[in-house]
Amino acid sequence: MQEKNFFYRLALNIDWILLLSLIAILAIGFLSIYSATYSYYGLKYVSVQTLALGIGFVLMLILSSFNYQHYEQMDKIIYVLSLLLLISVLILGMTVRGTKGWFNFGFVSFQPVEIAKIMYILILAAFLNKNGKDAKKFQFLFYAFLLLLGHLFLIMLQPDFSSTLSYFPVTLVLLYFIGVEPFYLFCILLFGSLAAGIPLISTFFKLQYNLDRNANFIIHIYSFIKDGYVWLFCIIAVLLAIAALWWLLIKLKMRVPIIYPIILCACIILGCVSSIAVEKSLKEYQRKRLVVFLNPKIDSRGAGYNIIQSKIAIGSGKIIGKGYQKGTQTQLGFLPEQHTDFIFSVIGEEGGWLISQLTLLFYFLLIWRAMSIARDSRDSYGSLVATGIATMFSFYAFINIGMVMGMMPVTGIPLLLLSYGGSSMVSSMCAIGILNSIHIHRHTYYKTSIEIF
Amino acid sequence: MAWQKEEKITYGLFLDKHKRMLVFFSLLFIILSLRLSYLQIIQGNYYRAISQEQSMYNRLEKAPRGIIYASDGTIFVSNDFTYAVLFKPFDIEKVPSQEIIYELSSILGRDISATVNKNTEYGRVVKLADNLSIEEMFKIREKQLKLKGVEVVKEPKRLYNFSESSSHITGYIGEIRTDELRALSQEGYKLGDYIGRGGIEQSFDKYLQGIDGGWQLEINAKGYQTKAFKYIDPQIGNSLYITINPQLQKIAYEALQNSPTGKGAAVVIDIRSGAILAMVSAPNFDANLVGTDEFNNYLKDKKLPLFNRAMQALYAPGSIFKIVTVAAALEVLSLDPDWTVYCNGKFELGDRVYACWKKEGHGKVDLKKGLAQSCNVYMYNLALKLGIKNLDDFAEKFHLGEITGIDIPNEKKGFVPTPEWKKAKIKMSWLQGDTVIFAIGQGALWATPLQMASMMSAVANRGTFYKPFVVNEVMTPEGKPLYRHTVETGAPVVMSDETWDILQDALLESVESGTSQRSKFRSVRVAGKTGTAQNPQGDDHAWFVSYAPFDNPEIALAVIVENGGGGGAIAVPVGRAIYEAYFDLPPQPLPVYRRAETKTNNDSKNKQAAKKADNKRKSA
Repeated sequence: MQEKNFFYRLALNIDWILLLSLIAILAIGFLSIYSATYSYYGLKYVSVQTLALGIGFVLMLILSSFNYQHYEQMDKIIYVLSLLLLISVLILGMTVRGTKGWFNFGFVSFQPVEIAKIMYILILAAFLNKNGKDAKKFQFLFYAFLLLLGHLFLIMLQPDFSSTLSYFPVTLVLLYFIGVEPFYLFCILLFGSLAAGIPLISTFFKLQYNLDRNANFIIHIYSFIKDGYVWLFCIIAVLLAIAALWWLLIKLKMRVPIIYPIILCACIILGCVSSIAVEKSLKEYQRKRLVVFLNPKIDSRGAGYNIIQSKIAIGSGKIIGKGYQKGTQTQLGFLPEQHTDFIFSVIGEEGGWLISQLTLLFYFLLIWRAMSIARDSRDSYGSLVATGIATMFSFYAFINIGMVMGMMPVTGIPLLLLSYGGSSMVSSMCAIGILNSIHIHRHTYYKTSIEIF
Repeated sequence: MAWQKEEKITYGLFLDKHKRMLVFFSLLFIILSLRLSYLQIIQGNYYRAISQEQSMYNRLEKAPRGIIYASDGTIFVSNDFTYAVLFKPFDIEKVPSQEIIYELSSILGRDISATVNKNTEYGRVVKLADNLSIEEMFKIREKQLKLKGVEVVKEPKRLYNFSESSSHITGYIGEIRTDELRALSQEGYKLGDYIGRGGIEQSFDKYLQGIDGGWQLEINAKGYQTKAFKYIDPQIGNSLYITINPQLQKIAYEALQNSPTGKGAAVVIDIRSGAILAMVSAPNFDANLVGTDEFNNYLKDKKLPLFNRAMQALYAPGSIFKIVTVAAALEVLSLDPDWTVYCNGKFELGDRVYACWKKEGHGKVDLKKGLAQSCNVYMYNLALKLGIKNLDDFAEKFHLGEITGIDIPNEKKGFVPTPEWKKAKIKMSWLQGDTVIFAIGQGALWATPLQMASMMSAVANRGTFYKPFVVNEVMTPEGKPLYRHTVETGAPVVMSDETWDILQDALLESVESGTSQRSKFRSVRVAGKTGTAQNPQGDDHAWFVSYAPFDNPEIALAVIVENGGGGGAIAVPVGRAIYEAYFDLPPQPLPVYRRAETKTNNDSKNKQAAKKADNKRKSA
């Protein structure tokens, strides 16, 4: 009788729109993986993905029924657990393509960083929720970033750059929600984009210069940015401009604390300085991969090849697509990584504009439901967790789909719930389970003893 | 819904941020959606075309060229098949790799790297080897999987059935060169196509080209064929029907080859239309050998077999120009044919002496005898009476110094010297001595055998010049006519009937009792003229021009035996063999050829006695 009761209440409380869009996305994902891999590998990929979905589905059910409010109390345990996972993979893990990020269980392997991302959302939300009243203090920011750094450091040791990318938007969005001054967040963004942007832009112009030495415009820019003094002058000019603007605002009787321009200037200087470190730490091929989307021709036989072929695949789908399993790009092997990171171009080619837009719509529905769950949550912790998960899904989708359409850098970020990959499937299902839990428990008062419903 | 009520202010702030965040997420998805629409709707056709292009491959099957039929219906040029190995760039391999070249070389047992290096162009289909036998083709097909990007295709090969005598008429075919391609690509030619080089293969290339067919295939990123869409049958080119008579051609060539030097040319024209019945140049080359090492030997051969002597070689016409001199005299001076000159073997002009070919002289010579016996002294006298102006006029009237307009490319037009030319060229004024030797066809006068044959057919036609032609008709493979030669005439030579009568009688006399007696038949009356052209580089060239039958002319011919010596002894028998074949006459034994060594004008005294007997047989 307990079982019947459980499913009855589950069915009554579950967010059906979330579940339906989830099922739609999963269906599209499975069909695409099947189409992309069947002719070459048979059912190998589809069956692995089915197994992952099965595990993920069970975990989703368990996590749905488990009260999410316990996570806030167990935040320290979860944090230690996540660190242990990341450390043990460094010791026991298997190396795939230069990254020591997999636990190998014989016939299946698991990537702990995927589940660590979800754990991080739980931990960060707990920390922010508990210390939210100190949001204006500097120490608060410091501790929050210390939390982030623990994970980042261990992931960088693997090294797995692309996985770290999802940490930043989640952290920034949650900090924004808890009430950190947007100006500080802007400064952090500025710092980050300077540190990462300067080496990438100079790499791009260097490659573009190599590609076409006759373009006058490019030569000017290239010789301009090669000159170190030019940079120095630029930085000084920007700093002076900031100082002048602040002085002007003071004169206009606007109260702007002196700390603002100082922090801004510090961020710019720090950003430029750390850009040198970033330039040193990123290898040539990595920088190339990150800028190639600006002009795939600068590396048309390497990273650019993927983008060119992916754009051809999507564009050639036109409105109604080439038909299921009839995409020439997909079926003839022109698309690289078509079942993993480039799964969306399979959808674009074979399903055309209609199915692709439908996929985007379902994805947006999922995110919209996640945000609704955040709004209707029982407590602020639930809201933060749901917002974090929604942010993760949004940015993964934007970076991945943007990449396959040639408007974002080529990073190894999968399209959650659609791409082939057991670990990300399981962790995404866990995230959905947590969302469900927040939704189901929106009327439940928290009791310290662990119980179901 | 607890904190919403308990912490109203915090929740209110949260809701604000929540809304902004939702707008932000919506924006991200709108950007994705717009980008998707741009790629798939606005640029959709562009990308669809690219995706088709990179997954489709046309495996060409070259169309055979049109068949050429001779006038008697025999197949003059047809087709055979060979196999060629191509390299098709794929994926990242844009040029054939060393392993492939090595592997193929070991299969074929010959080093192909030279051919490959010559043909290689980045990202293009490269021909690795051709002229493969069926066995070699199967050997390569067996190892197809190992040889990535390599493909064996069937290629038509031209088969020249009368190549031993007629390669100059047909020409041959060769792969289009990249420098030619730039000009020809607008006309539908593409890389790897074969085009005609020389002969009617060149001038009728457009008609002979077939329409290539082949398989339209789907290929994957690795370059493997995955599917075949459709097969288009290659279409054979149009058929040519030519005027050449292969038997006549063969006999003319054999006769030339059997002549003492084996070098020379012969042209046979149907005087009623200008149709070329035979045109041979000896030695000949074999068009079937194009592309082989043997063909390269032709380039080194000192006898210049690739050179079409019949229409590209320029010779002094020698005594056959006397026809023009006589015609001019009759027409301009209204010369009485009974006007006589006494020939004592010499002609003095100022302080120089011009000899007649007959040292002892012809005695009393009238016009008929002058032409029939080819008396130089008689002509010298006529020349002085006529002057260079009239002679030049008549040379021009007989279309010397201009191309005949035959439908075979690269015809030479010859040259007629004028006083103005001499002044401009060597800064010396025209002398009477120049006029005198011009009248016997020497000096800077140059003509091709084809021009001489054309001139002779005009004499037979009493002035009508037909444009010579080889291709009579072009028909589609199904038999639909595409082109038919229309008989064209050039400016006629207008002279009185009387003049023509006297001229033709004199030419008949030359065969009946003069220098051309070796072409005399009982049943067919031939009119002709011999010539011995002095050649500053070596022995004299032997000429013979004629037409027959006299009363109702059908064909005219011109024969030259290079360095052959006297026309009457050396060139006339070749003409005789042609007449025998044409009129189906029983062959009559020919006298044994003798090597001609003498020159009419500067015989050394000690040889004179020895040559006397020869000179009698020889004609000038």
